[in-house]
Amino acid sequence: MQPVVHFKNVNKSYGALTAVDDLDLSIAPGQFVTLLGPSGCGKSTTLRMLGGFDSPTSGEIYLEGKPISHLPPNKRNVNIVFQDYALFPHLTVGRNIAFGLELKGMESAAIHRRVTELLSLVSLEDHAERMPAQLSGGQRQRVALMRALAPDPNVLLLDEPLSALDAKLRQQMQIELKSIQKKTGKTFIFVTHDQEEALTMSDVIVVMNKGRIEQMGGPDELYARPRSRFVANFIGQSNFLESTVVSVSGGIAAVQWRGNVVNADVNGTAPIPGHHVTLALRPEAVFCLSRKPEDRPSLKARINQRVFKGAHTSLTVTLDNGSTLLAQIDPVALSHVEGDDVWVGWRDSDAVLLAQ
Amino acid sequence: MRNYFNDLPKSALGASYWIFAVYLVLPLALMTAMSFKDANFIAFPIGNWTLSWYSKVVQDKQFLEASLYSIGIALATTVSATIIGVWIALLVSAENIWGKAVIFALACLPAVVPGLINAISMRIFIRAVDIPTGTFAIILAHTVHAVPFVVIMVLTRLRSMPANLVDAARDLGADPFIAFLRVTIPYLMPALFGGMIFCVLTSIDDFVRTFFLGGYQPTLPMLIFAKVQGGMSPEINAMATIVLVVTTAIGLYAEHFTRRSRS
Repeated sequence: MQPVVHFKNVNKSYGALTAVDDLDLSIAPGQFVTLLGPSGCGKSTTLRMLGGFDSPTSGEIYLEGKPISHLPPNKRNVNIVFQDYALFPHLTVGRNIAFGLELKGMESAAIHRRVTELLSLVSLEDHAERMPAQLSGGQRQRVALMRALAPDPNVLLLDEPLSALDAKLRQQMQIELKSIQKKTGKTFIFVTHDQEEALTMSDVIVVMNKGRIEQMGGPDELYARPRSRFVANFIGQSNFLESTVVSVSGGIAAVQWRGNVVNADVNGTAPIPGHHVTLALRPEAVFCLSRKPEDRPSLKARINQRVFKGAHTSLTVTLDNGSTLLAQIDPVALSHVEGDDVWVGWRDSDAVLLAQ
Repeated sequence: MRNYFNDLPKSALGASYWIFAVYLVLPLALMTAMSFKDANFIAFPIGNWTLSWYSKVVQDKQFLEASLYSIGIALATTVSATIIGVWIALLVSAENIWGKAVIFALACLPAVVPGLINAISMRIFIRAVDIPTGTFAIILAHTVHAVPFVVIMVLTRLRSMPANLVDAARDLGADPFIAFLRVTIPYLMPALFGGMIFCVLTSIDDFVRTFFLGGYQPTLPMLIFAKVQGGMSPEINAMATIVLVVTTAIGLYAEHFTRRSRS
């Protein structure tokens, strides 16, 4: 299938500063795609270039196969939801949503129908005559979304639109956004620095760092199979085990880690015995048992710190080899407290080798 | 907010304010009162009250002509100063303009140059470039004087304008001109309105510039000045009272409007 958006070798620099570095990215139609990364990673610049508010220093952007880099924002069939919503303060909610339709030359009866239809999509039918200043944050967010959807764009761009909302409303809006995307079947390109937002809504997450794509894939894939230390650290938490490859067989590598031999998934890398590698291990993949299990390998450790976090309990344990591991366990699974000895380990496939 | 003047006795503050207020209002009240005096000299007591001075003023062809002339000049001044002022404010607020500070400083200069100096230099200037004294020269001088106030008001408003508003309009299909007309101008409206009221009031009020640059036709201040030369009379008081009431009404309405659109 032809990608709806294609960035081909796109560079953007501001003087000596490179914001986007040789970006090559194809986005399939109808997907919820999230550009995820820390501030300054180039995700917003990428979005602004697609919207037409910045132009690439070199390279070309294609929308449905046609180059668009030279087009001004008003000539592109993409619409953007701004971080601060940018609702026109002098226009009512209805007129805000109608703005793009009026410029398309649509007749007023059709505009009225479309505005009513869009407002009912977010249950704001009776707010059409309100001014933006009279709306709550969540309502403004919905109006901004509907205003951007009104002209029926091929691609909807969302620039951290949830960051101004409180935590509870944000979660609610995440679900609402996802369901609107499904209902309309449009391509959503969402920019955020919040990994939880990305994991909740996306079909595809593009992790960006220093103007480059660090890794791209489904949320579960990125979470379970991070390829770099950056991704493993940015999405969720990870333990990093610096080790040396001993042997490889059947996709599982045996590595020497501080005097212990442990197993890990090769994760698409080609480890060479004797070479140094880094293992990433999710805290919730680490098991802690009171007695040494017979059926699987484990290591002896002492609990350093036990922190109750509600849904789970977080343990910091120190192993006999001197290193520290972070583990997340079920609060009722283990009654041991700080200073107690436990046995820790993980399934071979839960620890993954990182590409260097 | 913490009241930093809690330590001062409230009564002292209040009393001194009222002294000031009386000083402010009393001359105006006296002037107004005298316009109702049934005698052709100004002195207490008023004695008999009359509206005859007002009926005389509103039938005074000179007064009506001068009023219309002043209003015409004020309107022309307002239109030209608003256009120039908005233009300069947009220039100064644009990101990549060379010499921004110089443009701004030059635009604001007329606000600090004394009116008399301004008037004399304009007089020399129009003679040098062969512009006759009269309506056009007056409008020129009034415009130069009014522009800084428009620039400052519009610029203040522009700086509070989210940059994304214009981007959003462009994104929804507006070209730069449509975006300016449909988003920037409406956003600037309170500032434009305030600036325009200010232009009208300063223009109608101006005496010095008009005195140096005017022709044979008198504006309202010139007419009143000429009449005062012939001695004060309740008729002048009636004229002044009319001007006072009208300008105060305009000022109050402007204040009300800007306050409403801000909330």
